[in-house]
Formats: sequence, structure tokens, C-alpha cells
Amino acid sequence: MQSNQRPGLIMIVAALLVMLAMGYLLFDYERNNRVELARGQGIDLVRLLGGMPFNQLVPATGQQSFLEVLKRGQSNADFAYGAIVDVGGQISSEVTRSGVIIPPATIAAEPANWLGQHIVAAATGDARFIESYGPVFQDGGHRGFVRLGYFEPEFGFGYGDVPFLATLMLPIFLLVPLFYLLMRREFKPLKQISERFGKLADPAGLSPVELQPTAELSDFMAQFSGYIEATQNRIEALNKQHEELQMSGKLLTYRNNRIDAILQKFPDAIMVIDEAGEVSYVNDKTHRLLGVEPGSILGKKIREWCNIPEIIPLLTFGDGKSAMQANQNTVDLRIHGEDVSSLQFNVYPLFIPNDDSRILGRLVVIRDVSENHLMRERQNEFISHISHELKTPLNVLSMYSESLLTEGADNEEYRIEAVNVIHDEVERLSNLINNLLAINQYELGGIVAQRDNVRMHEFLEDIFSGFARSKKYQNVEFDLDIPHEMSLVYIDKDLFRIAINNLLTNAIKYNRPGGRVSMSASESPDGIEIVVADEGYGIDQEDGQQVFNKFFRSTNENIRKQVGHGLGLSLAKQIVLMHHGEIDFTSEVDKGTRFFIRLEKMPSHIMDAAAS
Amino acid sequence: MTRIVIADDEPHVLRVLKMSLEKEGYSVEVCANGRDAFELIQRAPPDVLITDIQMPLMDGEELCRNIQQSIPERKFLIFVLTSRTEIEHRQWSREISNLQFLEKPVSIRELSEKLARNFDSTAAD
Repeated sequence: MQSNQRPGLIMIVAALLVMLAMGYLLFDYERNNRVELARGQGIDLVRLLGGMPFNQLVPATGQQSFLEVLKRGQSNADFAYGAIVDVGGQISSEVTRSGVIIPPATIAAEPANWLGQHIVAAATGDARFIESYGPVFQDGGHRGFVRLGYFEPEFGFGYGDVPFLATLMLPIFLLVPLFYLLMRREFKPLKQISERFGKLADPAGLSPVELQPTAELSDFMAQFSGYIEATQNRIEALNKQHEELQMSGKLLTYRNNRIDAILQKFPDAIMVIDEAGEVSYVNDKTHRLLGVEPGSILGKKIREWCNIPEIIPLLTFGDGKSAMQANQNTVDLRIHGEDVSSLQFNVYPLFIPNDDSRILGRLVVIRDVSENHLMRERQNEFISHISHELKTPLNVLSMYSESLLTEGADNEEYRIEAVNVIHDEVERLSNLINNLLAINQYELGGIVAQRDNVRMHEFLEDIFSGFARSKKYQNVEFDLDIPHEMSLVYIDKDLFRIAINNLLTNAIKYNRPGGRVSMSASESPDGIEIVVADEGYGIDQEDGQQVFNKFFRSTNENIRKQVGHGLGLSLAKQIVLMHHGEIDFTSEVDKGTRFFIRLEKMPSHIMDAAAS
Repeated sequence: MTRIVIADDEPHVLRVLKMSLEKEGYSVEVCANGRDAFELIQRAPPDVLITDIQMPLMDGEELCRNIQQSIPERKFLIFVLTSRTEIEHRQWSREISNLQFLEKPVSIRELSEKLARNFDSTAAD
């Protein structure tokens, strides 16, 4: 059902209800009138008839009853019956409307109740009568009663009422559509307004109402249209403001996000503490450095969340002060039972923009300087180690040369011993310095492998024979097993010589007296393998892969007896890795050690590409 | 005779020092590590201990601490041969009395003079 038809229907229904109500009231009024008439007329007539002698009311035989006159002269359509009864209630004379039987009735014996009215049910059928009764006298004696009955009016109407009702309802029926049409005409502009309101949801469709007003609505419509126009202008202005705000909001969000992203990427923990001493910003690094969830400390004072007593004075530095200087402190902490971290706390005042005299909080930057400390410690350790390693042979050189000045003059044997020791120590110093320089260059990224295709047989044999020919190692049994026909291998000859040299030096140094030192090489489709083996003390499980760590020295007494720097194997490994090879060993304590170097055979152009 | 114990893991150093000091009339015993030296000293405290710092099993610093702890009434002199001169590497020695550092390379003559200032090498113990 369309909404604009609803008023019409409501009007029709309302008109019908009005008509029904009017009908009801009309009939109710009519019925009450008839009841009053029956009661009034009845009691009047009873009084009138009661004033006449009894024998006048009861006709002698062959005479007309007085009641008959009454019946004929009766104008009330509701008249039902009239009767004269004796004191015993027996009817002496009666007149009735056709079809009516006078119902039996009891009248009270007390004189006070002789005159009255009551409702009596008909002897047959549903009809009821309004009966009026009164006493009748004769010669001063009570002879009987007069009873007059009228039909009690029923509620409702008969066919005879239809024309009356139709006449009554017709104007209402005619007026309803007339009012409806008039109303529609008058309310048409309001309907337009309603439609415009409907379109308010779509501001683009809003336009001033085109008025076709009746005189009564003219002013209202003009004002309303003006209001709509003003509203539209206001909406447009608000929309514009909204767009601008959205744009600036997006820009602000973007800037905030960008700043936040930068601060989150910052390697240090950053904390902003406001004037009230509460944390107003914190980045994720705080969790790593201090072990606190950033989200859980925002808006809280330092003492409310910080359970590390050492850092509370650092974080609360400048709390409640209107001016402060930047401050830096470093503390060593163990967070959540992990390794000790060295944290540097830098506290900076945050000034109010354009006013350096007032601060609005402070910025705390917490930096993990453990690595720096570790690095410094390692550097110290390195320098300490190197100075020991350099000064120990120097010390020997110094002592022997000094002693030669006194002892050497007359002791030939001692002089030879001293010269040999001096020679060995110079060689030792030289090796140490070479290894140090190579390692230093490697660590600085200064070593670039200068590769060439190298014949392995010649290359390895050359290194090996240098050792085998040395008088110094004349007690060592050397064994070389390199196939003559081996593929060319693409390596840096000088660097590889250092690696092989170091392996052979170790094999000799940590061999048992008279033990064998052997070097072999073999080739497979994938690559070549070089093995340097000894029959010495071996490497125990405790030392394991640590032997490749720089400056590592075994705690084994036999090994400690030998001069070593903990550099040879570390350097050999770095050189092999530089050639994309691998180095490893197998060892059995007191039986010997076998070091393997495996190099892949790769076409030279691939090696070049890999190197670049 | 003044008795000297030398602890050093460098056999050449032990050899030269022993030879030179014995020639000057001192009684010299040598140890290749701190632990042996400590055991020897505990058994029979010497008049002088000459020790290197970096040694296997027990280094020179630990040796000195152990001596200080186990022989609080010690009177004998300790010479520590060191490669480093920085004060921070010598701080540990503050707790130990009668201790002197000798920087490497050590001059035998200088050492002899220092000993001579304290002892008559030929004096009986």
C-alpha cells in the first residue's frame, strides 16, 4: 500500500466508525424516549383510571368497556394491554393488542405498594412489558387494580429505519471524499517536502523546493525552502571541511606512521617521558633491552613498572625539574637471566618549541654497548696476546745475544746452540708476522684471491720438499704421495702456500719424536682432496672445532710445550673458505691427526664469477 | 746460597737465565708452568721468584695470588716478566707485596744488578 493512500483509507474507516457511533447513540436515545413515554403515560393513565369507580371500569354485559376507549384512543405504538383485576388478581375486564396475552402478575398486598411499575415477562415469547398498576376503589372500598402494559423497547432498528439512516449517513459519505480531496490538494506541497527530506540522504540530489503553494502554506513553504537552501549550503561547507580534515588527518597519520616506523627501526631503545614523569612514547627495542612490553608501560610512571633498581635513577633523571642538562651513563645489567648487557643511557631534555627555557619532558635513548665492550675486550686481548707472542721470541733473542757476549767467547758449543736458537726465533718471528699481516689483511677485507690454474703436483711437492730438506726437521720422517697427473686447480698460489705451510708446521710441531708426517692428494670427478697427517698427540674432543678459532691454544700440556700463536689453523681455514673449499680433521689422541682440504673442481670462468 | 725459582713456558728463556744466574753464584730451579712452580715454592720458599705471566696450567698472575694467599708472611721477592706496560694490566699486582715488573725483552745484566742490590749471591741461605 502506498503511503499517500493511507490517509484516504483512514478517513473512510473513521467515517464508518463515526456513522456507527452516531447510529448507536441515535437508537439509544430513541429507546430511552420510548421507555420514558411508556412509563410516564402508563402511570398517568393508571392514576386517571384509579380515580374512577370500579364498576364503571368493568362494564355490564353488553356495554362497551371503558378500556376499549382507552385502547382505541391510544397513540402509543408500544401499548400492549390494559386490564382491570379484582383484589384476588382475577381479570375482570381487559383489552389487548392483537396477539398479546396478559401475563400473570402479583401485586403486593400492602396499600403502600398498590401503585407502581414493574417489568413483566410475556407469557409466551421473549417480549417483556413495562407494566404500570394502581388500585381501583368502589364506594370507598378497595375493589381491585388497573394494569396497563407497554412493550419494553428493544435496541436495534427495523427496515423502516433504513431511509432515515440513509438520509442521515449520506452527507457523511459525501463529505468524506470531499475532505479527502481537499486535504490532498492542501497537503501536496508537504508531500514534496517529504520527498525532499527523503532525498536528504543523498546530498547531491538536494535542490530548493519548487513551490506551488496554497495561500495558507505559502509563507511556510517559502521559509522552509530557504531553510533547505541554507542547510544545503551548510552541508556543502561541512563536506568541504570534512574533506580537508580527512586530508590533513591522512597527512598527519602518514607523518606519524613514518616517524614511528623510523623510530621503530632505530637500533636503540627510545623512550619519551613527559612532564608528569609518565612514558608517552616507547619503541619496540625497549622490550629487547629492558625486558618490558612497550604497551604495558605507556602512561605509567617509571617506578610503577621498572623493577631494575640500577636504572631507576637514570630513567627518572630530571623528573619534576623545569630545566636539565643532557646526561649519559653506562650500566651492566643481566635481563631475564641472560648474558650481561652493557646499556648506555642517554637522557636529553625536550624543550617546548621556540622556547629553550622550558622543557616538556625528556628523551631517553638506551643503547646496547655490550658489543663495543666485547670488541674492546677482544682488542685488548688481541694486543696482549700479540705483544706476548712478539716479545717472547724477542726476549729469547735478547737473552741469547746478550749471553753470547759473555758465554760465547769461550764456549763453542754454547755459541752454536745460541746461533741456532736465534735463527729459529727469527724464523718464528717472521712466520708470526706474516700470519698476522695475512689475517689482518683478510679481516680488513684487503685480501683478494689472485687465482690461477695451478698444477697441484708441482705446487704441493715444492712446499713439501722445503720442509723435508730442512736440517731442522731431519728427525722427522716425511712421506709424500701426490699423483703426477692431476687436473689444474684454480687457486691463489701464495695464499694456499700459507695454508699448506701452516698445516705442515703443525704436523711437525705436534708430532711425537721420530713420528711420520705425510701429505697426499687425490682427485675425484667432483674435486680434489689434500691430506696432511701426523702421528702426534692428536686433538682431544674438548678442543674439537675450537682449533680453528683465532688465538685458540689447547690446554694439553704436550701441545702447550710447543711454541704456538693460535693463528695458523684459523688462517688456513679462512684461506680455504675463500676458495669455497672445506677444511676438517679426524684425530685420535696419542695416535695422530689427519687434516683434509677439499676443493671443488670448477671451470675457471665460474670461479672468476664467484670471486667477483 | 741465594735460591731462585724461575717459572716460564719458554725453554730457551729458562736455559739462558739458569745458566747466566748460576754463573753468578745463585742456586736456580726452573719450572715450565705456574703449577709446578707453586708446588715447589710451597715445599720450599725461595729467596727470589722470577715468573712469566702467560704460562700453561697456572699463569703468573694466578701463581702470585696463590703465593700471597698461602704464604702471607712471605718475604721473598717476585720479579714478573711482562710484555705489556699499561698500568691497567698491572693492577692485579697491587695486592701482592714485594713484586716488581720486568719488561720484555729482559736484560740479563739489568736483572743481575737488581738481584745484586738485594742479595749477595754467594751468601749462605
